[in-house]
Amino acid sequence: MAIQVSGITKQFGSYRALDSVDLEVRSGELLALLGPSGSGKTTLLRIMAGLESPDAGSLQLNGEEALGLKPRDRQVGFVFQHYALFRHMTVFDNVAFGLKVRPRAQRLPNAEIKRRVSELLELVQLGHFADRYPAQLSGGQRQRVALARALAIEPKVLLLDEPFGALDAKVRKELRRWLRKLHDEIHITSVFVTHDQEEALELADRVVVMSQGRIEQIGSPAEVYDHPSSAFVYEFLGQVNRFDCMVEGGLAHIGNGALAIPTDGDVRGAAIAYVRPHDLGVTPAVGGPGRVSGIHVVGPDARVEIELGGLFLEAEMDRERFTSLGMALGDSCSVHIDRARVFAR
Amino acid sequence: MVATSSADVAFPEKGSAVTSILKKPSVLPGFGLTLGFTLSYLGVIVLLPLGALIAKASGLGWYGFWGAVLTPRVFAAFEVSFGLSLAAAAVNAVFGFIVAWVLVRYEFPGKRLVDALVDLPFALPTAVAGIALSALYAPNGWVGKPLNELFGLKVAFTPIGIAIALTFVGLPFVVRTVQPILQELPPEEEEAAVSLGATRGQTFWQVVFPAVLPALVTGFALSFARGVGEYGSVIFIAGNMPGLTEILPLLIVIKLEQYDYAGAAAVGASMLLVSFVMLLILNILQHWMRSRHAR
Amino acid sequence: MPASSSASALSDPAWMRRLLIATALAFLALFLLLPLVAVFAEALRRGVGAYWTALVDEDALEAIKLTLIVAAIAVPANLVFGVAASWCVAKFDFYGKNLLITLIDLPFSVSPVISGLIYVLLFGLNGAIGPFLKAQGIQIIFAVPGLVLATIFVTFPFVARELIPLMQEQGTEEEEAALVLGAGGWQTFWRVTLPNIKWGLLYGVLLCNARAMGEFGAVSVVSGHIRGYTNTMPLHVEILYNEYNFVAAFAVASVLAMLALVTLVAKSALEWRFGAELAATRHK
Repeated sequence: MAIQVSGITKQFGSYRALDSVDLEVRSGELLALLGPSGSGKTTLLRIMAGLESPDAGSLQLNGEEALGLKPRDRQVGFVFQHYALFRHMTVFDNVAFGLKVRPRAQRLPNAEIKRRVSELLELVQLGHFADRYPAQLSGGQRQRVALARALAIEPKVLLLDEPFGALDAKVRKELRRWLRKLHDEIHITSVFVTHDQEEALELADRVVVMSQGRIEQIGSPAEVYDHPSSAFVYEFLGQVNRFDCMVEGGLAHIGNGALAIPTDGDVRGAAIAYVRPHDLGVTPAVGGPGRVSGIHVVGPDARVEIELGGLFLEAEMDRERFTSLGMALGDSCSVHIDRARVFAR
Repeated sequence: MVATSSADVAFPEKGSAVTSILKKPSVLPGFGLTLGFTLSYLGVIVLLPLGALIAKASGLGWYGFWGAVLTPRVFAAFEVSFGLSLAAAAVNAVFGFIVAWVLVRYEFPGKRLVDALVDLPFALPTAVAGIALSALYAPNGWVGKPLNELFGLKVAFTPIGIAIALTFVGLPFVVRTVQPILQELPPEEEEAAVSLGATRGQTFWQVVFPAVLPALVTGFALSFARGVGEYGSVIFIAGNMPGLTEILPLLIVIKLEQYDYAGAAAVGASMLLVSFVMLLILNILQHWMRSRHAR
Repeated sequence: MPASSSASALSDPAWMRRLLIATALAFLALFLLLPLVAVFAEALRRGVGAYWTALVDEDALEAIKLTLIVAAIAVPANLVFGVAASWCVAKFDFYGKNLLITLIDLPFSVSPVISGLIYVLLFGLNGAIGPFLKAQGIQIIFAVPGLVLATIFVTFPFVARELIPLMQEQGTEEEEAALVLGAGGWQTFWRVTLPNIKWGLLYGVLLCNARAMGEFGAVSVVSGHIRGYTNTMPLHVEILYNEYNFVAAFAVASVLAMLALVTLVAKSALEWRFGAELAATRHK
């Protein structure tokens, strides 16, 4: 099912949570709403679910206006950040809840409910936990129960609010892969909210970057990472070196002329230049302008800090390359940057 | 595209009076029903009858009201009720704090039983407490007799008896407000004080006590307020001598029995007023302490 | 120099510990335990036979019956109110919420005598609507309805003030989840909210009931003390005591004292159970 969001605005007191947001969610895709806290992403998700009503705008589910519909009539599955499992019900009863509260005429026979719930618990690999209570489960298990419960009502859309937010790093990674696999199997239109760029980039078909109630950029993970459309997106996605610069004649002059980097675009005058650490080349050079001021080698990666004309730069390379350069703390070096992304100040 | 026309679809309930006073719209149902019921029930049971009291008292007019209140007998009853409630609340503040401290910090056999017993004054009907205390402290009672014979001290039918009854009803208020605060006091603060070289006494008076003080004041205020209004546990032990051991609530009852409804309303209203002002002062004091020792 | 010689820097010296424990226990024994013991001792002063005779006295039985009737009306009324009030206060945000909470707590800060007085002023023969009700043949003051109203007033906040913080702490996520899963309003309440608050509800009802059955001041003012008709147990205790019928007075009082003890035991048991349940959900 496709979702069409048009001009959605939402105000909490004097605080504008969403400012005329337009967004299309394509049928069958896995879409990430990515942004820092306060960017409005959770509010947008809750509006889609009918848990919050906007002050203006429209929301269409499969071409039909949905804002007047109650949550129960929207056929959405919602997975809450803290799971919101019913604490006094077993895992089985939690998952069966949505099937059991249907009006008598539409309710499935008990045997059928039982079969469906068991099937779902198998799907989320919790077949043996049907009789446990939420308090007896780990975080990752609770998350999967919440997912099974949302899927039980056969929703047309799955909405997930920070689905991995409360989990520790290792479980988070596992569950992330598992969710991707699950999505590839059942192909349900899914929207998830996250503030973790790595999660969004790894998991989603498309990423929506949000900031202060507005959408900054929509695109595939590669698009938003490689071609950020604004300074905010550039800074929010991945590590970055950020410089104040003056742009003249296609060159960004940084650090009182210590560096001059070719730029693309037609920005002129005072600007901000961004360079990803792995786009920054370092070579040892006796008498070079830079000086190695820090070295951090962790696992397969090496991070080198360089002081250059009063600026501190960070370069990233793989360990092998770093070893072959044979650099030590305090060595002189030269720095070359192929291209910088420049945004007007 | 549909942005303007959808606004009315979005808020099917916007028009109703109840939802418009909502600060934040919610998807949960039943707000109008429960708020409507709550307000009606509150209005009928609490506000309307209290309004009748205010109306009756103000019906007396300015001079009539003060004429009914500023008599020597009412004045004396004010002194007895407020003075002895203060005394009882002070006793409770001291011993209630010790009880709370002992219950939180120390282990001893029967602790849970003692903990449960603290709530007895909440659970025991006041009339039962009243006759029991009066039997105990009567000149021939278990406690009254030795006190009388050894020290010549009379308790029942004197102000001391009233203070004892008020101590009984007020004790749990102090213990139950101080206890949770003591419980949640992070041990790190005390450990820090000790590591900085403070003695146990310094640690208590400069670290623990200031943190507990706002709760202690709250407990004191609650105990005091309860004492001013208390009736059942007091009247049996009080002796009820006008001007000496006659409490305000009893004076109201007496006025009612004499069909002096307006007088009863005047005393009742003035009592509410004075309690309200005193609690307000204590609240301000407490707020001031809280902001100084923000935790 | 720290006086303590024991292991922890935070533990008080043994003599102080003992002194404080002794002080606390002596104070509690004198002020709480002794009166409780006195009730039963006085009741049994003339032996079990006299005790039993006093209890099965016709007026005493009538008083017990009336007490049960009053509580049977007042407690459910405040139960329904408490649930409704805490639902709207805890689950929604609206202007004047704090004022509403203050007003709900108001009856706790009003003297029981004044609680009775206000109903006399409203419904009494000289009262605001008393004459009108009299003309309709309805009597409230010096009759059972007055006792019920006064009891409802003094027990008004018990259930609500127990549930409001509990429901505020539990938040609205589970209810939202139920709604998204297709449950209706009542289904959500019965299947999700109520099971979550049942122990708190029971706790509030327990305290509400203890006060309803034991209330003295408020019902004393509205009752008129008509034996066998408007006499609840606490009022009956007063009448017997003032007639110098001490054994009978303490016999009826001992029943009330037992009710208090049962309440305390049940309350402690709930705190134990209820606390565990809360803790289990808090430490996720």
